[in-house]
Amino acid sequence: MSKYIVSSSPHIANQRTVANIMLEVLIALAPAVIASVVFYGFYALFLCVLSVGAAVGTEALYNLVMKREQTVKDCSAIVTGLLVAMNVPVSVPFYVPVIGSAFAIFFVKMLFGGIGKNFANPAITARIFLLLAWASFMTNFVPPIIWSKGEAFKYFACTFKGSAGLGDVAAMTTATPLASLRLGAEKVGELDVLSMFLGNIGGSLGETSALALLIGGVYLIIRRIIDWRVPTVYLATVTLFALIYGAAKGSVGTYILPSLFGGGLMLGAFFMATDYATSPNTKIGLIVYAFGLGIITSLIRFFGNYPEGVSFAILLMNIVTPFIDKFILPRPFGYLPPDKGGAK
Amino acid sequence: MRFTFKHGVHPAGYKDISKDHSLEEFPTPSSVSIPLSQHIGAPAASVVAVGDEVRVGTLIGKAASFVSANVYSSVSGKVTAIGKKRTAIGSYCDHIVIENDGRYEEVFLPEISDTDAAAIKSRVAEAGIVGMGGATFPTHVKLSPRTPVDVLIINAAECEPYITCDYRLCLEHPEEIFSGVRYMMTALGVSVAYIGVEDNKPDAVAALSAVAPEDIKVISLRTKYPQGAEKQLIYSITRRVVPEGKLPSDVGCVVDNVHTAFSIYEAVKLNKPSYRRAMTVSGAECERPGNFWVRNGVTYADIAAYVGVKDTTVKVISGGPMMGFAQADLLPSTGKGTSSLLFLGDDEVSDGDKPISACINCASCASHCPMRLMPMFIERAVEDEDALKAKKLHALSCLECGCCAFVCPAGRPLVQSMRRAKKLIKEKGV
Repeated sequence: MSKYIVSSSPHIANQRTVANIMLEVLIALAPAVIASVVFYGFYALFLCVLSVGAAVGTEALYNLVMKREQTVKDCSAIVTGLLVAMNVPVSVPFYVPVIGSAFAIFFVKMLFGGIGKNFANPAITARIFLLLAWASFMTNFVPPIIWSKGEAFKYFACTFKGSAGLGDVAAMTTATPLASLRLGAEKVGELDVLSMFLGNIGGSLGETSALALLIGGVYLIIRRIIDWRVPTVYLATVTLFALIYGAAKGSVGTYILPSLFGGGLMLGAFFMATDYATSPNTKIGLIVYAFGLGIITSLIRFFGNYPEGVSFAILLMNIVTPFIDKFILPRPFGYLPPDKGGAK
Repeated sequence: MRFTFKHGVHPAGYKDISKDHSLEEFPTPSSVSIPLSQHIGAPAASVVAVGDEVRVGTLIGKAASFVSANVYSSVSGKVTAIGKKRTAIGSYCDHIVIENDGRYEEVFLPEISDTDAAAIKSRVAEAGIVGMGGATFPTHVKLSPRTPVDVLIINAAECEPYITCDYRLCLEHPEEIFSGVRYMMTALGVSVAYIGVEDNKPDAVAALSAVAPEDIKVISLRTKYPQGAEKQLIYSITRRVVPEGKLPSDVGCVVDNVHTAFSIYEAVKLNKPSYRRAMTVSGAECERPGNFWVRNGVTYADIAAYVGVKDTTVKVISGGPMMGFAQADLLPSTGKGTSSLLFLGDDEVSDGDKPISACINCASCASHCPMRLMPMFIERAVEDEDALKAKKLHALSCLECGCCAFVCPAGRPLVQSMRRAKKLIKEKGV
């Protein structure tokens, strides 16, 4: 037995590990989590904790039952759980994000082989699943709380019955600003864009505050966890579409900011479309992918039946990703076409 | 214009450990065992027998073909044994064991009267000079390119962490280096030469620039690994791209290591054959790190005994930490290509640092690959034993520089996969 380690080169490596990447994503999500507590009180935090617990628990249990190596240490389940929580409105009963997370981890991640093998982003797939399974819970948006009125724990009333627990439902719920997009430029013009940017509106936990998501997203780009191309091209495409749509409606600028700050765009663009396993592996591929995201999102928002198109856009482009990777491959340094003696 | 290339990584340098130690003569032990294969190509054929008396500079191994190199004795004394021994790269070759009489009597090559291209080339071949950067390709072959060349590039990038022997050479012997470069320019018939040094060694750039003639330009390269890789270096300096599967001479370039230039100076001017080299001994577990003139055939154990190595050493590497070879023991001997020997502790090596998990598709390997390959796809092709796919993904262009594995957050041994891919392509003959 050798007293020295014998292994293939290289013998040194940088510090970045999978767990390290996931922790960076959690750090980047922190402003959005804090914003959700600020706007909706402690029930938001409660949902986050439950959702993360369900995600981690499902993965741990799956590995235990299937006698696989325990993988929860890589922290990716924590990210998925938190993202599922970020994707539900605060007024849902506690079991909605719990089932969502369990669904995301079990059906989308573990059944396909665990980390890196999922065909679609688990959190986004869970969101769509929840939207179909509990349409009313998922589309009931309640207004932010007022701390000075002692409402910090107000939405715990939703724990078992959802927004029904709040009393008069109709009086409580607010329309999502995105629904206004198709009501004409006048309605859109009435939207409080500043509130949408800061997050002082109704919406899903994580998507209310565009500012908080932007801070986290920029952090991820600076730390080189995500590629800047995806959010940049995605947001630019949505902006461009809104500009053209606005021009066609005779009101050029009106649609841009509500499109950018409304709904799940920021959350999707920075945190879910950038999922490694389900986005292309080349820079050009990422641009094509992000452009597709922007187009599909805008088409659904302006012309579809659902007010929001981010989830469907991401799911669709996730499915297209393997094809993008198949057809867009980088040319190696010194590429020679096959007919000139290069590799066939 | 910044002298650099795309992608690559920035490992910590660790050059401070040894960079201020000037080159000193390594005390050669009482016996050396000189490998007959210190180069790429056919091993040299032994021309001595047990019992023969040899001196420093006696030919002991004769080049067996064009792509091969002569081997000379590094000490004076008596040949005591000839037999197979394991080399630093793990293969076996004949070694000539010589008992060192400690007198170092020298018998050098005959004086050459002319220093024209043909005379220089034949002297380089005669002296057994090979690429001293570690690749050990016989230099006389490189000096006889099949296509005309117009640029000579001298590689003093020294992009591997820890290694400082080329740096010391640039500081201490700049004039000798230029003299060697001049001989190489004559041999190749080129009128322009560049010496590329990474910009983390400004004093080496200054030392060279101070004595550089008009037509040999000292280039301060951006510090980035693998800046010293042949194709990357050519691109950094000339913006020429060597096509896949082609040689630097196909774009009019020849690249040689700075130590090779120094050895050519010694061979042409001083008639010294290649039997020793400048070498860095470093690493945190090394008690007296430094840069040494080490005669060929000194074993790693001899070096460890001289510099003092702590018990906490976990890894011994011949060469740099990015591309060097981990040693199971200290039995191998130094040769012409042994640029460094590193004694590394647990904190320095990455073994066990990253839990190995499934590929998470982050594409870090692809975004750092200086050859712009897709290591994760090649790895998958290897796992599927799909040689054709591996080839289509250009696995054969891989340099094995290690950038992919260096950055992989899932701790995957990607370089090993690239080697497996090359082997698979070869075996299946696709």
